[in-house]
Amino acid sequence: MSVPNSFTFAFVLTARSAALWRTQRLSLSRGPSLWAAGKRSSLQLVQLTEAELKEQFVRGDGPGGQATNKTSNCVVLKHVPSGIVVKCHQTRSVEKNRKIAREILQEKVDLFYKGEESDVYKEKKASEKKKQEKKRRAKENLERKKHFKEMLQLDRK
Amino acid sequence: MRCLSSSLFRRFWGLLPQYVSVGPSQSPNLSPKQSSLRQSCSARPGLVTAPDVVSFWQKVFEKNGIPEARESSEYIVSFVLGAKTFQSLGSEKLCTPLTAVQQEQIQQLSCKRLERMPVQYVLGEWDFQDLNLKMRPPVFIPRPETEDLISLVVEEESWKCKAKNSAFLVAVPSPVILEIGCGSGAIALSLLCKIPQSRVLAVDKEEAAVDLTRENVHRLQLQDRIHILHHNVSYGSAKHLLPWGPVDFIVSNPPYVFHEDMASLDAEILRYEDLDALDGGDDGMRVIKIILTLAPSLLKDSGGVKRAAVVGWPRQSHPGPVNFTREFLWEELFWRRWSLQRCWAQRKM
Repeated sequence: MSVPNSFTFAFVLTARSAALWRTQRLSLSRGPSLWAAGKRSSLQLVQLTEAELKEQFVRGDGPGGQATNKTSNCVVLKHVPSGIVVKCHQTRSVEKNRKIAREILQEKVDLFYKGEESDVYKEKKASEKKKQEKKRRAKENLERKKHFKEMLQLDRK
Repeated sequence: MRCLSSSLFRRFWGLLPQYVSVGPSQSPNLSPKQSSLRQSCSARPGLVTAPDVVSFWQKVFEKNGIPEARESSEYIVSFVLGAKTFQSLGSEKLCTPLTAVQQEQIQQLSCKRLERMPVQYVLGEWDFQDLNLKMRPPVFIPRPETEDLISLVVEEESWKCKAKNSAFLVAVPSPVILEIGCGSGAIALSLLCKIPQSRVLAVDKEEAAVDLTRENVHRLQLQDRIHILHHNVSYGSAKHLLPWGPVDFIVSNPPYVFHEDMASLDAEILRYEDLDALDGGDDGMRVIKIILTLAPSLLKDSGGVKRAAVVGWPRQSHPGPVNFTREFLWEELFWRRWSLQRCWAQRKM
């Protein structure tokens, strides 16, 4: 009979593609690659997993969807093991705020656990040093110019 | 304006010292109560900073029963100061006193909010994923959850490509996507940006939506990849939707609210948004059923392999499509609140 055959066909396809779908879903929602892909991917930071995080704004909680029009998309994200909390409302998009919150939290957690060994700390120190160096050089140049001007005036006299 | 005659509003009005033009007269001297409204920045007396103004309007909104009082106030003040959110304002701007013109603008926008106008309509714009879109009543405001729908389509498209490649067939280099009910163009334009080779046919039954989508398309300079059609899918046949032939995907965030629930929606929605964009009829499935019934004749038959429709609705309350289109095999897959319908080859009867 053709009917059972088509049903079997549907069942097999559903099972196989559903499994593939689930795998894909896993990669989207749980991979630490979400954060590594950010702008700070050059730094070696502590990897966070979703299981360690607790988010205050969670999509899908309570009645939602079309029936409401909420503009409150501030994300409050907590790293449970360390207790560090990050609040992010940089953009009007929840998804972007969630992503940015995770990036900021990752840096904070890294600093917390690694202290001075953290790449975040090192980078900050390096940029501070660079700034100071630049200031020092600018000051030096100013002194040199002043001295040169004085010398010129002396020559004229 | 109606809002200025509210006595409560007038009482608060006197608390803000530097109002120049509109409104009832205000005292030039600061009372202790007025001073106490100052925030951390040490502004000179007579000048107000952004945090001051946010607090002021937040209190006004709260007293008038406006929901999301703080958020609304922050968005309005940030907008006038040129930022998207209050948190993204630099510390300099937070301490700089606001000019009279800026305060005037904030007041005008806040008066609209006092009429329960949604913030997105008050500001005339809103962000959706990475795009900034114009917003105008009564065109439906894109909901944040719909950002997920984009990810779902992108995933499905890349999986379709892989599936084809694995069968030694040529991958779809430039998918044609049909969006039913484009509204402001949020979904259509996001997909055009996320899938660079795609083309979109955006359809809406409301002329206001078609106009707004067109405006947003031109703002983003995407007019050569999208065609916008003013058409009601409930009437007419599928052929109206085939100017480019069969499509690779159908996307929709159709109305799905149960008709009996419509009256309990917020005033913001009932007063300003197009209710047809929300009302899904008695079972919430009126438009969904139409889309899925049309789908098989709209989707490409790619070598007998699956074709897809990504339609968004809350999966708990609405059943899948199996009952509607008996001649085709449908597979329903869920992701968060979304339902992806894949239509397989024709059923062998």
